Amino acid sequence: MTRVLLAGFGGLGGGQDHQRAMYLPAFQAHPGFTVVGAVGADDLGVPSYPDLATALADDPAEVVSVCLPPDQRATAIVTALRAGRHVLADKPLALTAEEAAAAAAAAAESGTVCMPAHHQRFAPAVRSARAAVAAGRVGLPWNVQADFLVAGGDPCPLGELTNLGLYPIDVVAALVGQPVRRVHARASGDVTLLLLDHDRGLTSTISVGRISGTADLRPGGLAVHRYRISGSNGVMNVDATKPGATLRTSTGVRSAWTGPDTVALMLTELHAAITGGRPAEVGPADALAAIRVVEAARRSLEAGRPVPLSPDSQEGRQ
Amino acid sequence: MEHHSASVGVLVVGVGFIAEQHTAAIHADPRARLVGIVDLDAGRAAAAARANGGVPWSTDLAEALARPEVDAVVVCTPNHTHAPIAVAVAEAGRHLLIEKPLATDVAGARRIAAAFADAGRVLMPAHTHRCYDYARAVKEGLGDLGRPEFLRLAILGGWIWPDWRAWVLDPARSGGHALHNGVHLLDLVTWWTGDRPETVYARGRKQTAAELDIYDYLEMTVGFAGGATALCEMSRGHRPATYAARDVLVVGEHGVLTLPWDAEASIVTDESGTGLLPPAGANGFAVQLGAWLDAIGGAEPLMTPGDGVLAVAMGVAAERSIATGEPVRVDDVLTEAGV
Repeated sequence: MTRVLLAGFGGLGGGQDHQRAMYLPAFQAHPGFTVVGAVGADDLGVPSYPDLATALADDPAEVVSVCLPPDQRATAIVTALRAGRHVLADKPLALTAEEAAAAAAAAAESGTVCMPAHHQRFAPAVRSARAAVAAGRVGLPWNVQADFLVAGGDPCPLGELTNLGLYPIDVVAALVGQPVRRVHARASGDVTLLLLDHDRGLTSTISVGRISGTADLRPGGLAVHRYRISGSNGVMNVDATKPGATLRTSTGVRSAWTGPDTVALMLTELHAAITGGRPAEVGPADALAAIRVVEAARRSLEAGRPVPLSPDSQEGRQ
Repeated sequence: MEHHSASVGVLVVGVGFIAEQHTAAIHADPRARLVGIVDLDAGRAAAAARANGGVPWSTDLAEALARPEVDAVVVCTPNHTHAPIAVAVAEAGRHLLIEKPLATDVAGARRIAAAFADAGRVLMPAHTHRCYDYARAVKEGLGDLGRPEFLRLAILGGWIWPDWRAWVLDPARSGGHALHNGVHLLDLVTWWTGDRPETVYARGRKQTAAELDIYDYLEMTVGFAGGATALCEMSRGHRPATYAARDVLVVGEHGVLTLPWDAEASIVTDESGTGLLPPAGANGFAVQLGAWLDAIGGAEPLMTPGDGVLAVAMGVAAERSIATGEPVRVDDVLTEAGV
């Protein structure tokens, strides 16, 4: 059993607590993990520590699940990595590219797994699409169109570009693997549109945001989550809200996911990477790449025109 | 335009690819009758005349326009000929339904609009998608969504025009793809939002062949004055060549409308694979002809000359944005063309 320390129960302001809402139940449900300690909570029936340094000194956990508030997050990740632990980092892994680069460097030095919780790339439809694209099913991809629209729920005080934007940016990166060089962004109401120019002339476009709640979804559910990949030999339309059954009764309509959820699938990959002694399928470089796109999008929103990605100090290493 | 018959006598000018849709609509509407065919190619004009009940044909537009039974004209000639032909129709005092784009530049479009304003005749640019079932359903659905925030409209295909000689592939004659097909989408999202387009940011791709002079894949992002954004994709560059899909998504302040590629059509799997079987709803060309005849009869026009000028300006902005890589202000395009 791989032992897990839960470090922090904060998020991007408001009531956001992914540790309690998402990771804790997923670790508990996973046969390969056991939660052995917590920093910042004393109601979980495991030893509680006042701070991360104390916990790392005393606690035998191999994995630290970091959900500290974003301003403390990157430092905590680096601390845990330097202590030789594996890390699952709530997203965003950091608020700035600089912090994300520091985490990536620490992970490279420690040789342990550092996984940003970009769990949407583990959606079953996305995983199979990624494999099919990589196998050449649609030929050479030249365009991706993506929609990531969450219906209702609590708005993020830091904005949904920071909160939700990383997910589809990361999925697009996972699907086509071409770095982003230029970003044009436009905000309209609840939706931000990201128009990305990648290497090889590939373009992608992402709509992302938190829209009005809808009667058929729980607050915060995904109203639209899809990717269209156009390639030299075909088109793939990926609806990431699949696989789902639809239940219609006299009291309402709901969808029932037919397989493991995205967080469970992410933990399976985390466990496989740790026990296999290999990097995880998604690492700090992916977090850094996505954060750099978000930063460029912010600059583009201010400038009202496309902007290049900032020069990448990590370029030679990736 | 005094005439003994109660129906509107319609002359069709240019009998290429799209004319048959218009003549079929004319035959199907009791308020209209086909009274002649004009085409520069005598053989083609004669063949079309024979196929349409032996109506008179000519290669001379002025001669045909002078005939008293001609009340109105449908023009479906190559795009670069629209301005001189349309002005001639206005000067002859006839009503006009003209294939899109109204012209290949803003100055030409304005010249046409002014000629019809002077003549006091109806000018309707054939932004046919406004007459399609899906577009009307979306327009109606927008009422429940409140203020629109984000719109997606994709019309994707793999069918490229016949070969290198097709005039549509020549930007000097078609105006480029943003003018030729792009205006359909640019006009439709403008009609849906009822808002004023401010900026166009576009990206283009020559997907089918590097040697193309037009962008067979277009992605045009329109920023509206009220804050909404519309993403329009127009493609003839998808594969396989048989691919045909349409997609609409609208996010409004009260919810979301989705009309995905598989929402309307039946899905058929046969020996050649899986394809779509579009529903046999209303005929958009018939609806369009009806709207034109209504306008000739004095009704509020579904598409105005101003809509045609604006769509041309947006198309020009899109082509320019692709060339510069920057967003282009629609007002700048309108202003530099003069008023």
